[in-house]
Amino acid sequence: MCQVKVPVFVGADSVSYKLRLGSIVLLVVVIILLPFLQDSVNEKAARFVSDNESSHVGLPTEWNENQVICINFPEEYPHSVYSSGVTMIDTDGSIIGVNHDLNLTGACVGGFDGYTDGMDFMMDATRVAGGHLAVGYFVNPNWGEWIHTIGGLNEKEIEGDFNGAYWSLSHNGGYSMVGIGGLVMAEGDVISWNIATW
Amino acid sequence: MLDAHAIVLSPLETLVLNLSLLAIVAWSMWKAESSLDSGSSLTVLALMALFAVTGRVLLEPLPNVQPVTVIVLLVGIHYGATKSIGVATLVAIVSNLVLGHGLWTFYQALGWALIGVTGALLSQSLRIGEKISVPRVATLSFIAAFLFDWVVSISVLHSIPLESLPVYIMVGLPFDLAHGVGNVAFAAWLSEPLSEIMSRHSPKREVVVAPVKSST
Repeated sequence: MCQVKVPVFVGADSVSYKLRLGSIVLLVVVIILLPFLQDSVNEKAARFVSDNESSHVGLPTEWNENQVICINFPEEYPHSVYSSGVTMIDTDGSIIGVNHDLNLTGACVGGFDGYTDGMDFMMDATRVAGGHLAVGYFVNPNWGEWIHTIGGLNEKEIEGDFNGAYWSLSHNGGYSMVGIGGLVMAEGDVISWNIATW
Repeated sequence: MLDAHAIVLSPLETLVLNLSLLAIVAWSMWKAESSLDSGSSLTVLALMALFAVTGRVLLEPLPNVQPVTVIVLLVGIHYGATKSIGVATLVAIVSNLVLGHGLWTFYQALGWALIGVTGALLSQSLRIGEKISVPRVATLSFIAAFLFDWVVSISVLHSIPLESLPVYIMVGLPFDLAHGVGNVAFAAWLSEPLSEIMSRHSPKREVVVAPVKSST
């Protein structure tokens, strides 16, 4: 006869039953409250971003107090229209001018105010360019809105000596701590998108 | 959202579908395990890794709620540090083939490996006698959620300066909390059944062989 002595892990006791029930209830509550918690934290995080004054350098002076979005395209993948310098587009779609001194190519759309939701601002501002800066994105439950295409350039099209490329968001010149969907904007804020690699 | 031949499922419908699939996977693995010979620890490890991968992929609709952390912790408790590191790394790589592989895969593997090693180091403290202590595993798995998430957050230092890291970690706290509470739920529901399976096939188990009586 062969006897096998095995440590015994017996069935759940009353503490485990309470823990099972309680943990499911708590999990449901946390998932329901998560968007509100995240909004609150994002709002606090927005206070830590650098001053927006310096991020207006190179932009039209009439936008100094306004919200601006800039999209910068890589040298190897220039935009079909905004391929020379950075084109400055006002809220009505009119072109204010082109700045060739920024050593970048792309477009900035500015002159806005009153936006607090980053995604709303981005969609409204890029729409002003009449489709030239159309935005493509999907929603991931963990990351929120993930921007994959701006102005016809999909991040998956970028090739080079790296693992992958993505559209990277900056807030007032610094790396944004949250995605565009969680970004809380203040008056005079400048956000910009650049292709980054990993 | 899942596009199924022109039928677009809502996030809730997708979650229900995924939970059903996960239940089928869990049931089939449980049946498969019951037919294994005692001591098939490598097969059990493979089943654990497969369940962790499936759970992580299928529970994607729930933000940061997945069973990997608890499974790696339990593997560390029952099978030791080395095997938990193997399972942690394997789960990170295979699940990221679906969810997206990149630099973060290394940090995820590192984070889960640390949790597995912690489980191995504290394996005696996480038991009461020979019985797994579910409240202790649940408490440790709650803490482990924050540990794992902060290790993964270090990967952002490739993009941002060190002084920005505290703000980045602060922004992630609600997701850390969801991970922690999810871990408590997985610990409450999975600790005992998975411990029973793993201990049944543990290479450390004591085998007592009695003399075979002749039937004649």
